[in-house]
Amino acid sequence: MAAGAPELAVPVAARERAVRRHRRVPLELVLPGGFLVVLTAACFLWPLVRSMPGPINGNFIPDLPALSPGHLFGTDPIGNDVFARILYGGRVSLEVGLGVSFLGTVVGGAIGAYAAFKGGIVQAVIMRVLDVFLAFPALVIALVVADNLGKNELDVIWAISFFSIPANARIARAATLRQINQPFMVAARLGGARDGWMLARHVAPNIGPQLLTFSLLGVPVVILIEAALDFLSLGVPPPNPSWGNMISTGYQYLSSDPALVIIPGAFLLVTVMCFNLVGDALRARWDLQ
Amino acid sequence: MTVTGPAPARSPVATAPGEVLLAARHLVQEFPVRDRSGLRSAVVHAVSDVSFEVRAGETLGIVGETGSGKSTLARALFQAPRPKSGEVLLAGQDLVRLRGKALLGARRHLQMVFQDPFGSLDPRWRVSDLVEEPLACYRVGSKGERRRRVAEVLELVGLDPGVFGGRKPRQLSGGQAQRVAIARALALEPALVVCDEAVSSLDVLVQAQVLNLFEDLRERLGLSYLFIAHDLSLVKQVSDRVAVLYLGRLCEVGPAAAVYGRPAHPYTEGLLASIPPPDPDAGRSRTVVGVQGEPPSPIDPPSGCRFRTRCPRAEARCAAEPPELAAVDGDPDHQVACHFPLPAVPPPSTPVPSGP
Repeated sequence: MAAGAPELAVPVAARERAVRRHRRVPLELVLPGGFLVVLTAACFLWPLVRSMPGPINGNFIPDLPALSPGHLFGTDPIGNDVFARILYGGRVSLEVGLGVSFLGTVVGGAIGAYAAFKGGIVQAVIMRVLDVFLAFPALVIALVVADNLGKNELDVIWAISFFSIPANARIARAATLRQINQPFMVAARLGGARDGWMLARHVAPNIGPQLLTFSLLGVPVVILIEAALDFLSLGVPPPNPSWGNMISTGYQYLSSDPALVIIPGAFLLVTVMCFNLVGDALRARWDLQ
Repeated sequence: MTVTGPAPARSPVATAPGEVLLAARHLVQEFPVRDRSGLRSAVVHAVSDVSFEVRAGETLGIVGETGSGKSTLARALFQAPRPKSGEVLLAGQDLVRLRGKALLGARRHLQMVFQDPFGSLDPRWRVSDLVEEPLACYRVGSKGERRRRVAEVLELVGLDPGVFGGRKPRQLSGGQAQRVAIARALALEPALVVCDEAVSSLDVLVQAQVLNLFEDLRERLGLSYLFIAHDLSLVKQVSDRVAVLYLGRLCEVGPAAAVYGRPAHPYTEGLLASIPPPDPDAGRSRTVVGVQGEPPSPIDPPSGCRFRTRCPRAEARCAAEPPELAAVDGDPDHQVACHFPLPAVPPPSTPVPSGP
């Protein structure tokens, strides 16, 4: 480049670099996403691949500190391997988190889209009923429902769904209302499309990405509520492990062995954070389009 | 053109050229609105007592300012939304009275091309699926037959199905997207295509291409068009007959040559005067400068003739009684709704003083 003559055209090599940089999956998606994949694999697959101590009825020396040989995170006061309990407990968190989000997206999404689509009195009735559920704090709703259902994982999923379905329905309704007056919706109508066709072929694909991002951002909330239910002994009953009830039982030994609370707490924190980061990254991408 | 599958060779509503294909009778469309407080409600008189006919094989142009009710009128023909009162007779069948399946069945002979080609195509669908959609909704033929028909109409509008069939709308240019929208409208072999500002968003060169395509399709398929636009010279170019709409009411309707050559309604004259002359120098001496002022709100339209507030010829009678459509110079084809229509021979314009 001649001195004094500013080069206005972007050099080809630099442009290609920029394009490649743009196309690359961003780090803020890879890092937390990668952690979640590894965590999921560890929770669900590791116990199948490698022989591991069971999460309950262990008869190891109790109260071993972390990094003891054979016990990465040590053992708890009744002689169970903490690492095994973390992995099995992680299953509960992930299953509840993803299960509730799936239920919320599918059921809530369908309800919300249908309400927006029908409009008028149908929409008013559906949305006011859902508003009643949303008026209560999520944890309170889950507490009441969980108290009336059994104490197992499936019932916990149902309990928290009472909060996630209305929330998703609101988002789906708003997204559908934005789509519904688009000219292509009118065009499809004039092309002879009926309600079912419109919902399945035009509304669903167009609100899908937004709903998916929203429910991904909802996963950490669900995981925390699940942990809270466990902590309040309304969730997965001990001795079966979940991160929530591990914190709850470890709480009694907080002064003597804080690791029993810190380790499941740290897993909970990092997992929740990763779901948030992935959701945020996806939302940023979605907003750009 | 050969037709695949059980689709009828020509629309069963097809009538002999010159016969009335679509007739709107006393169409009224009104929408309730509320003010910001939500307490007082009012009514937007979008379309008020509009009647017109489209004959088989002809193009009826509808012109008017923004907000004159052109698009509302088009949508009312499709019963989406249904007009408040009046009749829409498609080959003698009143669409306003039809419900459900019967309406769906009758409406397939009526198709629409929208203003924004990208907006009217679902961004997540492929071109071939978009063109196939009306066929699939009306359950025409088998999957294979529909695919063949899609290729056929895409070729008809000048798009290579092999190249464009798999594309998404965002991979098309404006002109290509509008061709896809036209192919979509043609897939069901309609008798009448309503073009709602169908070329307004395209640049001039593409506009000409699409207009030529419309003309070509009219000849090959015997189509009729309802051509809605705000561009007067465009409407003149494509229309056999022209209807002028002002604030939801019809001012003047007649053969394009008559309406443009000898406007009888002051509003039509004003509109025509607002067309920029092809030669800027030649037009310098013109005294008419179009229509003054803004159109009044359709929520509270003027009494009597709706144009009277902006009309240079308005008198007391114009406020008292709304004018009815009446023949101009005894020509039943050319009708005007005005108490004081312009005289047959416009006063000779003052001779242009020839400059040095």
